[in-house]
Amino acid sequence: MSDGKGRVTLRGIDKHFGAFHALKGIDLDIAPQEFFALLGPSGSGKSTTLRVIAGLETPDAGTMTVDGVDVTYAEPGERNVAMVFQNYALYPHMTVEQNIGFPLRMDGVPKARIPELAREAASKVKIDHLMQRRPGQLSGGQQQRCALARAIVRKPRLFLLDEPLSNLDAQLRLETRVELKRLHRSLDVTTIYVTHDQEEAMTIADRMAVFLDGDIVQVGTPDDVFNRPDNLAVAAFIGSPPMNLLPARFEDGAAIIAGERLALPPRSAPVPAEVVLGIRPSHVRIADTGIPAKVVLSENLGESMLINAEVEGVPVKVRLSEMRPIAEGATIRLAFDGGHVHLFDPQTRRRIA
Amino acid sequence: MRSAAFRGEGNFAALLVAPSLIVLVVTTTFPLIYLFWSSFQNINLAMPFLDGFAGLDNYRRMMADGNFWHSIGLTAIYTISTVVLQVVIGLGLALLVMRIPAGQWLFRIVAILPIVLAPVVVGLFFRTLMFAPEFGILDFVVRWAGFGPVNWLGSPTPALVSVIIIHTWQWTPFAFLVLLASLAALPPDVYEAARIDRANALQRFWHITLPLIRPALVIVIIMRAMIALSAFAAIFAATGGGPGTATEILNLYAYRTSFVTLDFGYGSALAVALLVITLIVSGMLFYMRTARTT
Repeated sequence: MSDGKGRVTLRGIDKHFGAFHALKGIDLDIAPQEFFALLGPSGSGKSTTLRVIAGLETPDAGTMTVDGVDVTYAEPGERNVAMVFQNYALYPHMTVEQNIGFPLRMDGVPKARIPELAREAASKVKIDHLMQRRPGQLSGGQQQRCALARAIVRKPRLFLLDEPLSNLDAQLRLETRVELKRLHRSLDVTTIYVTHDQEEAMTIADRMAVFLDGDIVQVGTPDDVFNRPDNLAVAAFIGSPPMNLLPARFEDGAAIIAGERLALPPRSAPVPAEVVLGIRPSHVRIADTGIPAKVVLSENLGESMLINAEVEGVPVKVRLSEMRPIAEGATIRLAFDGGHVHLFDPQTRRRIA
Repeated sequence: MRSAAFRGEGNFAALLVAPSLIVLVVTTTFPLIYLFWSSFQNINLAMPFLDGFAGLDNYRRMMADGNFWHSIGLTAIYTISTVVLQVVIGLGLALLVMRIPAGQWLFRIVAILPIVLAPVVVGLFFRTLMFAPEFGILDFVVRWAGFGPVNWLGSPTPALVSVIIIHTWQWTPFAFLVLLASLAALPPDVYEAARIDRANALQRFWHITLPLIRPALVIVIIMRAMIALSAFAAIFAATGGGPGTATEILNLYAYRTSFVTLDFGYGSALAVALLVITLIVSGMLFYMRTARTT
């Protein structure tokens, strides 16, 4: 039963697959009842981290504790976790009822009670009318719900989701995303969610860890990660499209790009002479004066225009709400508010606060 | 117009199929009909003066024939024990080999060797090299282990055990190969889900593996049961049905009746009995297969 716990701590988790260094000493703290997303491109180590937490992979080094108890080498069954797999991993020879009831059966719940508990879990994800079907007779969305019901029926301490929405069509993905969040609220169980879709992570997670090349590059709330990226790697990954990164010189509290001077709010940390300036495409506007840029391509995104331009050979994207295309090759002037600018040290690749 | 064209096409198709159909009928259906016909006749080369229509005499005689019931009993023991041993050992080996991360191909190749040998060769080499007193390898091992010399093929019970061992040795690799292929095709994430659902190794085998390989398992059982019911060459080469009639399963009894005693009428009736038993057993197994999968 859920006892209001589920604090997960990873320390120095290291994992190789042959010559491939999948996890390079991961540290992670996940608070009880948190909805935590592991976000990163494929091969970044997020799924491996989830499998280590589930107990399906044993790390080469490092420790994992749940509520202070070391479970690094515990079998998956001893961890009181439930998992929804990317391909759902339903038992093909069992009905929906038997699938959902299987964890209860393995737990020794009296046989007479199982159908009732299975139906209860199924009704939470609205598939209680399909109890006698087999997985092969269900649509993708229904299979996904069946996998969810199987995961929640036992009321686990940790709820692990491995890209659960990636096999659904776009419409269903949006609906299920909302339902997952609702389900998490009603269950109050620590939920760890792997995704490569940053929009998904941004919208449903309380906090997230951004993975790149087997390392965690930032941990924080979606707001932190989006608005205060810790380093150039996160800045270049988060956002669709991600923020523009332009080399600039810093002099007397102002950035100088392509000969144009841009006043910036004062920084608490010392700023080196050479910096990388970051600005989101939606924060750039076209003005009469400003940094000169050459238009390469105008893209119509429906709700906005995305102008691809170049500033001294460096690509810059501008998102405009007014739907007027700009001719290729035209020279425009870009301006932005100094308050929206992020500064990074090109040497350490870290954010300058 | 269209149906006429179809009819023309159908005639042409029938013409094309006819040669192979005729060969099939002449070589399989006709001998079967002849077998049924002769089972209702007295055809005895030793006593040709008695030949003629016998009606149900051969079948009445069968019901009262102690040798017939003895051979039925042996056939049951032989079939059940060899099929059970093949499936259990084959599945056990397949489960073990599945756990070997590399080099499974080696086991697959080694497993094919007994299958490609002619059963009569297998029977002969077991008789001369494995079970022979004094220098047979198996006999040597048993003596070394302190269970004394055993007259493997010369005394009734060891002879029956021996022919069961021979059949099991030759055909377990078949079960092994089919079940290994079936196990290799099982989805790995289902096992991970079962581990997370707290199923231990035995429960995973019982609740996941067995139901999922059930179709392959049933096919193996059906094919092996049909082959075991009509086994002949290996037993004939190793013991010839003896000592006495200790290893004379129904197939060998039918052979002896027809070609040693030269009582073709009664021999045909015995062969018909074997055919009926084989059909009933495989029909039952096929029914069990479809009944639960649909």
